[in-house]
Amino acid sequence: MRFLGFIIVCLTGALLLYGTGEFPDWGDPNSPASIHLSDHYIEKAVEETQVPNLVTAVLADYRGFDTMFETAVVFCAGLACFLLLRDFSQKKERFYRHTPTGVILHVKDSKKILKVGKEFEHMDKDWVPSDLIIKTVCRILIPFIQIYAMYVVAHGDFSPGGGFQGGVIFGSSLILLAISYDLKTLVRRVKEKVFGIFAALGVLIYVGIGVICMFMGGNFLDYSRLAPLVPGDPHHIRALGMLGVEIGVGIAVTAAMAIIYINIVSEGRHDEGL
Amino acid sequence: MDILVILFLVTGLFFFLGGAVGIIRMPDFYSRLHPAGKLDTLGIFAMVTGLAIYNLHHFSFDALLLSAKMFLIVFFVFLSSPTATHSIVDAGMRAGLRHWTKKKRKG
Repeated sequence: MRFLGFIIVCLTGALLLYGTGEFPDWGDPNSPASIHLSDHYIEKAVEETQVPNLVTAVLADYRGFDTMFETAVVFCAGLACFLLLRDFSQKKERFYRHTPTGVILHVKDSKKILKVGKEFEHMDKDWVPSDLIIKTVCRILIPFIQIYAMYVVAHGDFSPGGGFQGGVIFGSSLILLAISYDLKTLVRRVKEKVFGIFAALGVLIYVGIGVICMFMGGNFLDYSRLAPLVPGDPHHIRALGMLGVEIGVGIAVTAAMAIIYINIVSEGRHDEGL
Repeated sequence: MDILVILFLVTGLFFFLGGAVGIIRMPDFYSRLHPAGKLDTLGIFAMVTGLAIYNLHHFSFDALLLSAKMFLIVFFVFLSSPTATHSIVDAGMRAGLRHWTKKKRKG
């Protein structure tokens, strides 16, 4: 099985390398990108899409397909981390802490299970007491980071930013919570299932907006067709469509970041990281 | 007004320079973190104060808002930089790194 996987990886790699040979040379003045594509974007993008930010217009409108599959790749990365690393097996050795006294119990018999509640709490071998200063400061900072992340997502079609960046910032705020408290706090606050659903939901929002455009009689991801559905100035409909798409990207990236971090850091056991 | 701006900027640069020299010259992990933390807080405070005053040259509500936003940067750096230094030192202590001492004379 492993050998088969190796062969598949080698074949895919060879195929990709073979494909690279057909690319135009770096900075080739006769390549299609230099002849008409870039000029068209620079001259016509603002006029055609009514989006104030040229970069977003190219990324989310002209190349909406590309960005959609990028989101799918991020989703797949989270999924792969989950499938490869998640470990549901019970641990043989358990550690408990008696909360009032702070005494730590090491249970080697896998059948003996102590009731976790007010008296005892779960512990792990590499448990480190979390620091009060760090906890407090992170508690103050995390909401600001999250607001900033939403600002980056929402402002994506007017200024530098967008779904990927905003999603990464939002995800990093969740990771900060896991680092400053412990991983269990994060997993308790936001269930694993929720992360999974949100990762899929993000991709669904993106694709869903494209499909709605098709239902309205346009091409896939042709945002201008959304105009009857949204009240307001129809000139800005493409910017609004992009905003919806960016929100989807942001949700997917946030959830994928959290899934990847949680699974890698605790080797799939979701008990204690770092 | 300009003199004040220059004074603040030079103070900030002085602290940044001192901090940068300190990071290179200090003998071990813990003492290197000391200038790193100082540089971030006081250096940035002086620099941003200078820039905020410069920004208020043509006084208007927008300029005032921008200056206030600049001080938000200082606020967040003041919160996060010492905490980061603290946690790095904490990690060093937990990992069992000994602090530097002057070598004792033999005998």
